[in-house]
Amino acid sequence: MIEPRVIERFKKRTIWFHWVHTVAFLILIITGAILFVPGLGGVAAGGLTRVIHRIAVVVFVGAPIVYLPFNFKKSLHFIKETLTWGADDIKWVGKAPDYYFGGEEEKMLPQGHINTGQKMWQLVILITGVIFCITGLIMWFFRDTVTPGVFQWSVIGHEVAFILAFTMLLVHVYLGVIHPRMTESMRSMLDGKVSKHYARSHYGKWYDEISAREEE
Amino acid sequence: MTALTHNEGNVDMELSRRNFVKAAAGATGLLLLKPAASALAQNSQKQDDLAMLVDVTKCVSCWWCYAACKDYNKLPETIKPDPENPPVLSNDVWTTLMPVKSGTEWHSRKQACNHCTVAACVEVCPTGALSYNELGFVQYEKEKCSGCGYCAEFCPFGVPQLESSGVTSISLMNKCTFCKDRVSNGEQTACAAACTTGAIEFGKRADLVTEGKERVASLSQTNGKAALYGERELGGLHVMYVLDDIPEVYGLPSDPEAPPAVMARGLFKWLGVGAALAAIAGFGLNYLIARMRMVKGGNE
Repeated sequence: MIEPRVIERFKKRTIWFHWVHTVAFLILIITGAILFVPGLGGVAAGGLTRVIHRIAVVVFVGAPIVYLPFNFKKSLHFIKETLTWGADDIKWVGKAPDYYFGGEEEKMLPQGHINTGQKMWQLVILITGVIFCITGLIMWFFRDTVTPGVFQWSVIGHEVAFILAFTMLLVHVYLGVIHPRMTESMRSMLDGKVSKHYARSHYGKWYDEISAREEE
Repeated sequence: MTALTHNEGNVDMELSRRNFVKAAAGATGLLLLKPAASALAQNSQKQDDLAMLVDVTKCVSCWWCYAACKDYNKLPETIKPDPENPPVLSNDVWTTLMPVKSGTEWHSRKQACNHCTVAACVEVCPTGALSYNELGFVQYEKEKCSGCGYCAEFCPFGVPQLESSGVTSISLMNKCTFCKDRVSNGEQTACAAACTTGAIEFGKRADLVTEGKERVASLSQTNGKAALYGERELGGLHVMYVLDDIPEVYGLPSDPEAPPAVMARGLFKWLGVGAALAAIAGFGLNYLIARMRMVKGGNE
């Protein structure tokens, strides 16, 4: 049975922001990680990839800066939500393995607009984003100002942040695109809509909230 | 972590750690940890390693090594070598002299890449532009350089030179090449060939270690500070020095170490590859099990 996808999950501008950020991040990953693949390091010869890396980072950092004032309340909520953790999140972690390995849907705690796992991803983006920016700025602009030790650990910090962010990105893509349970996730990031059934079963708390709002 | 000191025992420990890393590499079938692998292959000087021995007590500051380096490597002559204001290493100065007043005498220490056996620059170079040549020296292939400048930041001697534009950082590294074309064809390095007093000797490293020790033994009769520098430092330098004073006087750290960040970097590289592989393997397993259980439970 195909249900009509009628519930708005993401606004158009949020979808745009998501994909602009995604493309910038992918370019950053490619131009950065290429240095660590044997045989491909030569692509960086001449330093062109570093220039592309720096252009991409302007977009990557610029996108949220442009997005924020137009969606101020939502953005603040996003940050607050990302940083607020409680007992329900711990419960979610306990139930997550069974849920993600195909256990019964009903056993999972009803989730808000985003679930605890998505919150983890947001937290990783926030934390690594800050690390990327600080260490990146040091390497880009303050090479001659800082001590060699600071520069060296900036290189390491950038790389550790990459490991964390990239691994979580893989999880994010897998769950969004491939996981058998997340049938409408990817499409909702394209046109912003999900079906009632999907909203109810994946984001029960959020569904109740928006239904209540509609009834008012 | 005090890896890579001039103490031989530590070098051995360091090498066994590298062995372990390499074994782990073999197990996953991925040799992404190029630095550790390449250092392992070159972990000690081989019998035919080439080297130079620089004797500061023989140097008369004639600057012929400087001129010969410029000439052979076709570097522009931009600075007049002046002992009062000597040129420092830069993009077009790959070797220079560091004049030092020792007592009432002036001596100069020739300054250039020391071609370490365990070279921080090679370990951190992402593109393979820096590598260990089979003849022992640190080989530099400029066409592979991306200009990232990590070598310059990690070198314990501050040798690699890089002029970067603030915005793009496009600029390639420069350093002494050990006159690869010459030494691969049985010739001496340009600086050694030009040296007028025998202060720079070129030859097999093993022979030069012996000779350096003999020189130090003879100097020690009148000078207690005489020492051979570079025999064990950083796994053994391929440019060693006969010094008549403590290394710091000649601008050399007395106990050089590859920065600990080098090792951390090697470790994290594997952590990254491991995490990505584990995630991908986990997805496959997760997909199969989740799909099976969902079909069975009819809650697809």
